[in-house]
Amino acid sequence: MYGALDISTSGLVAQRAQIDTIAGNIANAQTTKRLDGAPGPFLRRVALLSEGSPDGGAGVRVTEVVEDQVRPTKKVYDPSHPQANADGIVEYPNVDPMVEMVNAMVAVRAYEANVTAMEATKSIIASSLRLLA
Amino acid sequence: MLLQDVTTGGAFPLLEKTLAFAQARNRVLAENIANVTTPGYRAKQLNVASFQEALAEASAKRKPGGKFELGETDEVKLDGDGRLRVTPSVTPTQNLLFHDGTNGSIERQMAELAENTMTHQAAAELLKGYFDGVSKAIRGRVQ
Repeated sequence: MYGALDISTSGLVAQRAQIDTIAGNIANAQTTKRLDGAPGPFLRRVALLSEGSPDGGAGVRVTEVVEDQVRPTKKVYDPSHPQANADGIVEYPNVDPMVEMVNAMVAVRAYEANVTAMEATKSIIASSLRLLA
Repeated sequence: MLLQDVTTGGAFPLLEKTLAFAQARNRVLAENIANVTTPGYRAKQLNVASFQEALAEASAKRKPGGKFELGETDEVKLDGDGRLRVTPSVTPTQNLLFHDGTNGSIERQMAELAENTMTHQAAAELLKGYFDGVSKAIRGRVQ
């Protein structure tokens, strides 16, 4: 019976990872330098979800967090910028705050749905336990 | 002998199986909700109608004082101890798939979850009333 709580917990963890990723994207919306030192700006990250909880049971898990290589970066002409290239172009991250906010709303709603499922499971457990009292 | 009658007679086996089914179904619905944003996930289901049909059939077939024998469906089987073993089926896709390849409808899942919780609570309350009656009979007084 308690398995249903674990399933909902895996949903909460996955949605929180999703929100963390989105928060990182928004925080780095203007970051022109990468952590690993590679050329180019920060690229927006996406958390990939797949079926099955991390411990092998039912549920959901984040399999990996990948960089979005598809969406083009923003190129701004700013020759005085220290990161400008020979043509005076500075590359800014491919983060669109609007897209991130919408994704954040989806993740928050999914998180809430898992909380509701958890409440339902708790009330089922409680009414089962009341049989013993 | 008396206690055996108590646990196999009357509404007891019906309520017990209903509780077990509601708990199994709660798990399936929780899994669907956990995977609401998983691309390509197909929602799973336990068919309530076919389970209730099996219950009704078993209840009609039972002779007075006889054993309650629940017939098995595709999704619900019984193991050696009479416990339910469920294998959820994939919910058939009635609408177009969403752009991420899922057929889950969160509204339906949440509604079914609420309905399932209430079914469980109703069965638990009835079972509690049944137990209270038995305990009154054992003690021989109403208080």
